[in-house]
Amino acid sequence: MSHSVELAQIGMTFGTTRAVSDVSFKVEQGEFFSILGPSGCGKTTILRMIAGFTEPTEGRVLIGGRDMKGLGPNQRPTAMIFQSLALFPLMPVWENIAFGLEARGVGKAERRRKADELLRLIALEGYGDRMPGELSGGQRQRVAIARALAVEPGVLLLDEPLSALDLKLRQHMRAELRALQKRTGVTFIYITHDQSEALAMSDRVAVMSAGLLQQVATPRELYDNPATAFVARFVGETNAISGRISDVQDGRARIDTALGILTGRAGQGARTGAQGTIYIRPEALMPGDPVNALDARIERVDFEGAFALVHGRFADGAALAASVPSTRLAEAPAPGAETRFGFAPEHAVVLGDA
Amino acid sequence: MSVADRIFRGLFVLYLAAFALYLFAPLIIMSAAAFNESRFPTVIPWQGTTTDWFGAMSADRAMWRSLWTSVLVAACVVIVVVPVGTAAALVLTSLHARARSFAYAVMVSPLLTPGVVIGISTLILWRQLGVGGGVFLIVLAQSTFIICYVMLMVTARLQRFDRTQEEAALGLGASRGMVFRRVTLPFLKPALLASGGLAVLQSIENYNTTLFVRGFETPLTVFIATKVRTGLTPAVNALALVIIVATVLGAIAYEVARRRQAARPRA
Repeated sequence: MSHSVELAQIGMTFGTTRAVSDVSFKVEQGEFFSILGPSGCGKTTILRMIAGFTEPTEGRVLIGGRDMKGLGPNQRPTAMIFQSLALFPLMPVWENIAFGLEARGVGKAERRRKADELLRLIALEGYGDRMPGELSGGQRQRVAIARALAVEPGVLLLDEPLSALDLKLRQHMRAELRALQKRTGVTFIYITHDQSEALAMSDRVAVMSAGLLQQVATPRELYDNPATAFVARFVGETNAISGRISDVQDGRARIDTALGILTGRAGQGARTGAQGTIYIRPEALMPGDPVNALDARIERVDFEGAFALVHGRFADGAALAASVPSTRLAEAPAPGAETRFGFAPEHAVVLGDA
Repeated sequence: MSVADRIFRGLFVLYLAAFALYLFAPLIIMSAAAFNESRFPTVIPWQGTTTDWFGAMSADRAMWRSLWTSVLVAACVVIVVVPVGTAAALVLTSLHARARSFAYAVMVSPLLTPGVVIGISTLILWRQLGVGGGVFLIVLAQSTFIICYVMLMVTARLQRFDRTQEEAALGLGASRGMVFRRVTLPFLKPALLASGGLAVLQSIENYNTTLFVRGFETPLTVFIATKVRTGLTPAVNALALVIIVATVLGAIAYEVARRRQAARPRA
């Protein structure tokens, strides 16, 4: 059985609060799929609807093409890893891991064998008889993953499982999760508010805001081709300059702004005569570039080695953020100076204002 | 140490001593009276040391019968109140805020009702249904308010329970029954044991509610109260001392077992 997950126009209303509206996307079998958004955007609600902890008030959830309506969390081919991990504190580690097998009526000897096998997989061999309270945060994390994998789920749902770990451990666990997913071939649906986590780990990412789906795309496409202003601002840093779109031709859009006429790729909603905004990534802004010239006053330069982060203000007062390779740093004068930046049109996108 | 510290320390020790005295003096006097030859339970005047009252106690068939009645009632009360009180706590903690405060008020109200009222109203209600006083009604009447204690203790424990554990168990394929048996119940166990113990104590010491629904039964508290009128002997003190010693020994045994368990090295 394939374990694709499809959401068809699902919506969720709690009392008078609209948590999720009209969300549709399909996650393919074996995909590492992330749902990215700020807290309160409805991403956890979506995960809980896939797991079966809550029924959507509208729309359908299909797993492997089968409608999941009316099936409880214990009847779906999913396993969930909670933000709090929710390990059972009164059971030793091996019983935690084998809990799903116990629920399936597997005998004790076989459960123990399977638990030991999974402990090896997560590099915690010999920890089976410890209690969860005796483990470190990272170890507990791994036990939670092993416990979910023990039931051989078709779909693994992860609710910000790394948020409680410190930065170094988090980065290590990212790589481990990604490797584990490739090895097991299980469909992963991963929830996070950390955009770098989503970009680094996922095959595809769904970006959500205020209960609405903004865009579903590969990390690269999200970054290069944001579909909405929200995505452009939420995923990565960006310089946003607003104006009136004066011409759209051959995939390019020209926008008249207070800082001059600028050209970028035409994105969603870019129509001649419409109000729009051009979004320029910090690494696209180059000092001294004559195309799409923008004057700015530099306020601060943070040297980071390979590149420098340049902060400043455009002539109209809007904030400037540029990341300049060290090799071009000579062209970006010291703080306080006026400098002209430019950017190649293909490195900026013009979106119509909603 | 400064003078102020010394004074403060002295006052603190004095306070502790007074507190302990207030707590234990009655027990000590009561216990001592069990060894007084006087026919009344008193330490003044001391008419000579004797252990005769323990003999009198063990020979008092009526007292043993009343103790047995109390123990039987307490056992039945525990069987009723622990499951029902736990169920009430589970319902209470899963309700939404507004419904919860209403249900809480309703469920706690027996605690605020005078015991006499509970006793009389239980008797009147069941008399209409043709059931007279006796062990059955004592158990029902006592349970009415003892359930509240169980509910409060289990609720307090449940508030520290991470409900996502139940969801995690469900998500791993467990049935509702297995979730309760393997996850919720083990977590509640300390509260269940404690509330069971409290229920026993509450039941055995209860007088005012029991008095009205006892029918022809004579539980220990009623027996002792009757004796106060007809002439109390230090045999009752002897019984009290035996109960105190048994309780203290029980508590010590429990603590020793608990420490042993905690010190046991893990495999």
